[in-house]
Parts: sequence; C-alpha cells; structure tokens
Amino acid sequence: MRRAFVLSFALGIAIAASASSLFAGSSNRKDEGTSTTVVSNADADIKRALGEQRFRANCGRCHAAPQKFPPRAMSTVLRHMRVRATITDEDMRLVLFYMTQ
Amino acid sequence: MRFLFTRVGACQWRRKILPRLIGAILLQLFASARLHSQTADADKPVPILSGNAGFLTSVTAGQTLLDTQFNPVLLVPLGDRWLMESRGEFEGEFQRAPSGSFGGPVNKHLDYLQADYLANSYVTITAGRFLTPFGVFNERLYPEWIRALQPDPLILPLGTASSDGAMLRGGFPLNTRANLNYAAYVSATSIGVNGVESERQVGGRAGVFFPGPRLEVGASWQKLLQDDRKNAFGFHLAWQPRAVPLSVHSEFARANAGSGYWIEGAYRLSQVSTWNRVMRRTEVVGRMQQFFNGAIGFDEAASLGLPTANTREADFGVNYFVQDGLKVVGSYGRQLSSSGNFNQWTVGIVYRLLVPLGKGEAR
Repeated sequence: MRRAFVLSFALGIAIAASASSLFAGSSNRKDEGTSTTVVSNADADIKRALGEQRFRANCGRCHAAPQKFPPRAMSTVLRHMRVRATITDEDMRLVLFYMTQ
Repeated sequence: MRFLFTRVGACQWRRKILPRLIGAILLQLFASARLHSQTADADKPVPILSGNAGFLTSVTAGQTLLDTQFNPVLLVPLGDRWLMESRGEFEGEFQRAPSGSFGGPVNKHLDYLQADYLANSYVTITAGRFLTPFGVFNERLYPEWIRALQPDPLILPLGTASSDGAMLRGGFPLNTRANLNYAAYVSATSIGVNGVESERQVGGRAGVFFPGPRLEVGASWQKLLQDDRKNAFGFHLAWQPRAVPLSVHSEFARANAGSGYWIEGAYRLSQVSTWNRVMRRTEVVGRMQQFFNGAIGFDEAASLGLPTANTREADFGVNYFVQDGLKVVGSYGRQLSSSGNFNQWTVGIVYRLLVPLGKGEAR
C-alpha cells in the first residue's frame, strides 16, 4: 500500500512537471516564432525604442548603460538581470533586443 | 476505474501500467527539453566571467586603509531555463603598522552560489546560497562599479547576511502603469560548511514600480526562526525623474539590532554645457543617513559591523566615468556620534569586467 502511495506520488509529480513543461514549451515556441519572423525595419526601430525605454526605466534605476556586448554574452547578462532585478519577461526581451541590435 | 481498487487491479497497476506511464511521461519530458534547446544560436547564452575589481584608499579618523577588492561573478546558463550564478569576494584591508609598512588580512567570502530556474514569465525558483532580499542595496547597488558612494550605508548589516535555502521571485505588470516585483525566501540555519553560514529565517520583499514617473516603492519583512525570533522590516524607494539625470535611492530598516535610514541622490552633470565632454562623464553624489542603536550590546553591534552608538553621517562624492566600466571615485564624509566625531576621505578606482567564456558572437 505504501509502495503504491509512493509510486502514485511520483506519478503526480511527473504529471505536474510534464504539464508545466508543456505549458512552458508552448510559450517558448511562440517566442521562437517571434524571433524567427523577419522583422521589418520599422518594427525593429519600434522594438529598439521600446527596449531603450525599458532599459532606462529598469536597468537605469541602478547603473548607466554599458557598452554593447556580443549577443550571446548579452543574453546571459539579461538572464542574470531578470533574476537579480526581478524585471518582467517582456522587459527582458525588449532590453535584449535594444542591447544587441 | 473500479478495477484499480481491486487487489488484482492494484497489483497490475503498480507492476505494469504505472512504470510504463512514468516512462512515457519521462520520454515526453526529454523530447520537450530537446525541443526547447533547439533555439536559434544567436540567442543561445554563453557562460560569462564578470565582476569588478577596485582599489580604494580611505582615511578614517586619521587612520589610512588601503582596500583592494576583487569580486568575480560567474554566470553559467544551462538550456533555456537554468542559470547557475556565483559571486565571491576577496578583500585585502591593509593598514599601516607601527613599523611603517602596510599589512592586514585578506578576507574571502562566498556571497552567493545559486541555481535559478526560470519556471515561467512570472516566477523564478532559486536554491542555494543567495543574497537576502531585504531592502534593495544589498542585491542591486552593492557592487563597487554600481554604487555611487563607496562607504556602505550604516544600516546595511541589518537583515542582509546571505541566506542558504530556497526562494521564489519574479515580476509582472499589474497594469500599463505599474509593475510588481516580489521575492519570498526561506533559509536554513546552517548547512555545515564553514564560511557559508546563515540564519534560520523566512522573509520577503515586494515592490511596485511605476514606469511613468520611474518611481519604485517597496517593503521588506524578515522573521528569524531561531534565538529571539525577532521580526525585521524595511522600506525602500528609488526614483529617476525624466526631466533631469538624477537618481534618488532611499532605505529604512528596523530590526532588533538597530534601526535607521539613508537617502542618496546622484546627479550626472550631462546637462552642463560648459566643458560638456568632461561634465557628462561626471556625477556628483550626496547621502544623508542616521542610525539608532538597538537592543544589543556594544560587542555584538561591533561584530555585526554596526555603529556602537547613535550615529549621523553625511557624505558627498564625485565620480568620473573614464570609459565604460571604469570610474574614478572620491568622497568625503563626516560622522557624528556620542562615541566620537570624525572625517572619512575615500579615493580610488573601480573597474567592471566581463569576459564571455565561449563564442560571444552568433554563429
């Protein structure tokens, strides 16, 4: 009985993790779709302006704008800052665009 | 369904169906993880060695101190959702001995070593040793290359010792005019490793940021779950008005060990037209702070790094940003307390480094 309970508990966790992963996956795929879309110059300008605005509002609260680092390095920095400064996911993506484009 | 509750059914469920079901789910999880990892190379983050190095000379009440600091920060992203991050602190504090030469200890600390899991857009789960989110100075403004004045605020030791445990944190928009950020944590008393001790406590911090006026206000709370089980709480404020290049920060904290506040304004002289090339790289700073003794003794206060008497202090400083990540700093402060008044001068240079440990450019 106890073993069944343990197995059922493990199953519950596995289902929860799976559901969470699927849920996350759907949002991720949506993001990938966005990033692979050919962005027109006008859209890029808007995103860049929004990114700068978000940078000044969020990152500028603590420090000045750093130089633009290589995109993959900047991606790590932004992941770190999302955790450290508790900025929203949307802000992180726009700031990343601004800092790398 | 009733079949599962019979003895034979339960046995079959346990032996045959359940392992297959778990296997199928694990397979799905694995496939899902592989799918997520197939992001564009351009967005794929690489490990980074960052941090800062600084050399400061301060004269406090006539006593010269040479302070050399190196704070390496290692960031290792794993997949799309994980980040391992760590910061160490190596600090040499050298004072002039009676013989005339300088000497002193080199202190080593592990500030944090944590694993972050970006669960979704609004939640990050953190486990390990982390900076305690009490107020904002400890988490956001502490690095030498970020802080506007090099001397620590007097209330910094209140509630900010690193924690060993787990934390939930994140941020999300409340509406178009306000974003909420939060952090909630639980810390174990000790994990049995020297140098990474912590206290058993729970706590949290919440802040609301208004992007329009660029104003953030927030509050922190902490409950000690050992010894005297005291509460601590604090408030913080950050404001960057749009019209002028001014940055205002302030914190208030109250704990068993003491209470106090500080308010600081940093003004970038970029709007000064005379010598603009120099002025736009120059920042002037002022800070006012006050500390009130708590219900602890002289020795305990000193060991925590707190003033041993009620204290007031005013500081003024100038920072010059030579180039990105490199700044020259200078400040003067006057401390007034019943245990004695004195001046504090600080000059130095601080540098922020960032080295990608992999191909930084997109392939």
